[in-house]
Amino acid sequence: MKPFRRKGDELVARLVDAEADIVGLLLDQLEQLLSADPADSGGDPVLERLLPSGHASDPQLAAEYRDLTEAGLRSGKADDLAMVRATVPPGGGEVRLDAEQARAWLRTTNDLRLAMGTRLGITAETEPPEIDATGEGADDENSQLAVYYWLTAVQGSLIDALAAGRGDRR
Amino acid sequence: MAGPLAPERVSETSTGEESALDRPWVTVVWDDPVNLMTYVTFVLQELFGYDEATATELMLQVHNEGKAIVSSGPRERMEHDTNRLHAYGLWATYQRDA
Repeated sequence: MKPFRRKGDELVARLVDAEADIVGLLLDQLEQLLSADPADSGGDPVLERLLPSGHASDPQLAAEYRDLTEAGLRSGKADDLAMVRATVPPGGGEVRLDAEQARAWLRTTNDLRLAMGTRLGITAETEPPEIDATGEGADDENSQLAVYYWLTAVQGSLIDALAAGRGDRR
Repeated sequence: MAGPLAPERVSETSTGEESALDRPWVTVVWDDPVNLMTYVTFVLQELFGYDEATATELMLQVHNEGKAIVSSGPRERMEHDTNRLHAYGLWATYQRDA
């Protein structure tokens, strides 16, 4: 992966084919999760994190908020996801984003990190896994952690590139 | 450490009558272990128009104290702000100001 850099009005990164494949797979999983019937997925901690309660202690207010906002929140995430998918080069290559696409990438990579982070039980103390070049230490959980930290690097570079651009405009 | 006060949003339809029911509502952002500090700062700037220093101070308050009030005003506006924060994946709730 070549991290995101600002080039003129665009944000540009490069993914190798395996990375493009992983992003595609993660997008499919997120899409499946978000399109599941809410009645069937009640109590799923990942969905609770992606579609959080609007009120900490008042169940009635929380229910009103959910009625008012959940459908819109789901469709916004689905729109972001479709926009991200359309910018991932099949087989790897350059990713070029305008400002709107960059926002979709920010929100979707964040949702992917929230989903993985919740499943993996990430805490403030969690450290990146140690996987050496021979694949030593690459059990399933470590592989998922590695993907999580890879997404963190992708999102982090995009945030930095966008924030730097904002500073320039002042 | 005292946190910065979030600027109050002024309702365009304010009647000028004040009662207990008019007590402003607030939107609170809570700390979570996934969202990057740079991301939280970026989103607060993006959604509320805070300058970088204000957004960074609010982000640090979330990080160090577990939560921060990021906006205040009428209930409908706070619902809206909470919803905008949820769209960006921040952990936010709204409540009547204590």
